[in-house]
Amino acid sequence: MNLVVNGDAESGPGGTAAPVGSVTGWRMVQGAPALVAYALGGGYPTTADPGPAQRGSRFFSGGDSPRTALLQDIALPAAGPTGRDAVDAGRVRYAVAAWLGGYAAQEDGARLSVEFRDGRGTPVALSVLGPVTAAERRSRTGLVERTAGALLPPGARTARVLLVLTRTGGGTSNDGYADGISLTLSPVAAGSTASGSAPIFTTTGVRA
Amino acid sequence: MSLNRRDLLKAAGAAGALNLVWPLSPGLSPARAREAAEALGAAYDPAPFTLGVASGDPVPDGVLLWTRLAPEPLAAEQPLPEVVEVGWVVAEDRELRRVVARGTAPASATLGHSVHVPVSGLAAGRVHWYAFTALGKTSRTGRTRTAPVGPVPRVRFAAANCQAFHDGYYAAHRGIAREDVDFVVHLGDYIYEHGPVGGDHVRDHDTPAVLTLADYRRRHALYKGDPALREAHAAHPWFLTWDDHEVVNDYSGTGGGAPFLQRRAAAYQAWYEHQPHRDASATTALPDPEIHRVRRWGDLLELTVLDLRSYRSAQNLPDGTILGAAQKSWLKGTIDRAPDSWHVWANSIMLSQLRGRPGGPYMFTDQWDGFLAERKEVLGQVRTSGLEDLVVITGDWHSAFVDDIRTDFDDPSSPLVGTEFTAHSVTSGGYSADWNATNGPVMGRANPHLKYFEGNRYGYDVYEATPERFSAHMRVIGDRRDPVSPVSTLTTFHVDRGRTGSHEDPATKNSPAQYRRD
Repeated sequence: MNLVVNGDAESGPGGTAAPVGSVTGWRMVQGAPALVAYALGGGYPTTADPGPAQRGSRFFSGGDSPRTALLQDIALPAAGPTGRDAVDAGRVRYAVAAWLGGYAAQEDGARLSVEFRDGRGTPVALSVLGPVTAAERRSRTGLVERTAGALLPPGARTARVLLVLTRTGGGTSNDGYADGISLTLSPVAAGSTASGSAPIFTTTGVRA
Repeated sequence: MSLNRRDLLKAAGAAGALNLVWPLSPGLSPARAREAAEALGAAYDPAPFTLGVASGDPVPDGVLLWTRLAPEPLAAEQPLPEVVEVGWVVAEDRELRRVVARGTAPASATLGHSVHVPVSGLAAGRVHWYAFTALGKTSRTGRTRTAPVGPVPRVRFAAANCQAFHDGYYAAHRGIAREDVDFVVHLGDYIYEHGPVGGDHVRDHDTPAVLTLADYRRRHALYKGDPALREAHAAHPWFLTWDDHEVVNDYSGTGGGAPFLQRRAAAYQAWYEHQPHRDASATTALPDPEIHRVRRWGDLLELTVLDLRSYRSAQNLPDGTILGAAQKSWLKGTIDRAPDSWHVWANSIMLSQLRGRPGGPYMFTDQWDGFLAERKEVLGQVRTSGLEDLVVITGDWHSAFVDDIRTDFDDPSSPLVGTEFTAHSVTSGGYSADWNATNGPVMGRANPHLKYFEGNRYGYDVYEATPERFSAHMRVIGDRRDPVSPVSTLTTFHVDRGRTGSHEDPATKNSPAQYRRD
């Protein structure tokens, strides 16, 4: 199950190149994104450009701010095969994926990061995707997939997903693009973990 | 064939430059590179705690503890499990017998197997000792201190900046480790990003310019190969800001394209992985750590740590910013709400105006001189809010300056609102003695607020504040090429409480300098 809410930009206001006032599931911490329709045209990515196979109708762009940042805090499952007991036993892996892109040979970009935190808010793991350069897109408008994954450290309780869309040089349009953002957890069978770590962690300090 | 110091030095002599064999890493495995580095004087701690231990961001009830597991410090991939359990303990005694807190934390390969432990529940104003355990090994014991509350008779702290590895050994950090200080402030240029410099240096960078996360991790590990740096980290809690070379020379944190932002994210992440930095922002997350913060040392001192890199615009724009809109708003609010105490700003790069000759242009607009409107706005806020007892401590320049801070530097009659102490660098090279001798007096004539300039030495500052007086002791080392070079006090300046402006201590007023106003 994808833990990211509205990682596909399909929910809430949008559809044009105009910045929106709110984004379903996300906190706007800087600038304002546009949730652009693939059908909009005008040089924006279309369904014919590189991007997710199942891309829905819209994607994130940076709007007209030089830096647009969206943030989403996710509580990891409390129970179940990827719940806290499994996490603390070192038996849960995470996978983060995003389609990130930009416009032609411009170096506007999109970066997606996921910081896992323990119960006190201390970072315990980090994956950073992108930003995708023009060279990595072969100077073609569109989005390319980036993925990462790792063992979820024992004690991890939340994930902070940060999407940063950046404009470079002049102009007004922030052509950092993103779509298909996902974060999934999967159980690791007992005995197959690569961690080699102790099975149970106590991640909060205690008074002795 | 094993590498040994004699062979390396012999090879160095044959090559005519020691840097050509430091640390002999091109083509060597990380293990051999480390062996070569150690043969030339580096002395990593025993694995897996090769990079030592550190503490930072002390508050009244706790402190942030740091270590990083790196059995092969110069390797891109560590021979470790994906996640390793790290135990930690905090005690009231050096032998770690009177334990007051303990726990475990996971070290993830995704964060370079670093751990950052925010310990809380400690007694205020107390010295504590700490250590880590992992993989059956125990780290060295570090010493730290919590911030006091209430009335405080004295605070002492050191400030370090600019520690180019190739420019010398860290005798200054050896001195800091031995100082009786409550904490250390690092003002930036903790690493340098470029490749080997060549020439006549005691050591050199071991790889080309660093670009990727693996590159920056290795560079930080190389710098921590100087045992004096690890000693200083283990001796005191640190507050940290950064300047440009943690990423790349003279960069602006905004406006760059995707290739630069890839590099910046790698540099920022590696910085976090190697520093005792507490990251707890409400509005951002790694790999963009939030550095600016306000901390108090009892009722005596308020420390404001500034980040002059992450949010700055390009230089010399009419509406340019060195702080960024959010940090500027925060700083102005901090000024408005300031308590009655000493106010110290940890400021990576010079705040005061600096013209190279009378009526001439600013020497460097990478400093606040490139952000005139914002400087005027911030100093105007200091003036209108009635903030008193402001001391700005600065790095970057590789030379020592003492400046009066005026709301309008071009108007010597404008209000005097504080004092800026720019400290000598730990090692990073300054101008030549000839340049300093010629240009010290020229800068003095060009900048009526400049009171003192000394550019021929290296070291750090120790600041001491009491309710009545703030004193800046300029500590200098004898020779950067000597890792145990002795430390001496070149001179001392004082700022008296409730009276803006500084004055030099009469006992050291005849010490060498290339300019002093009086």
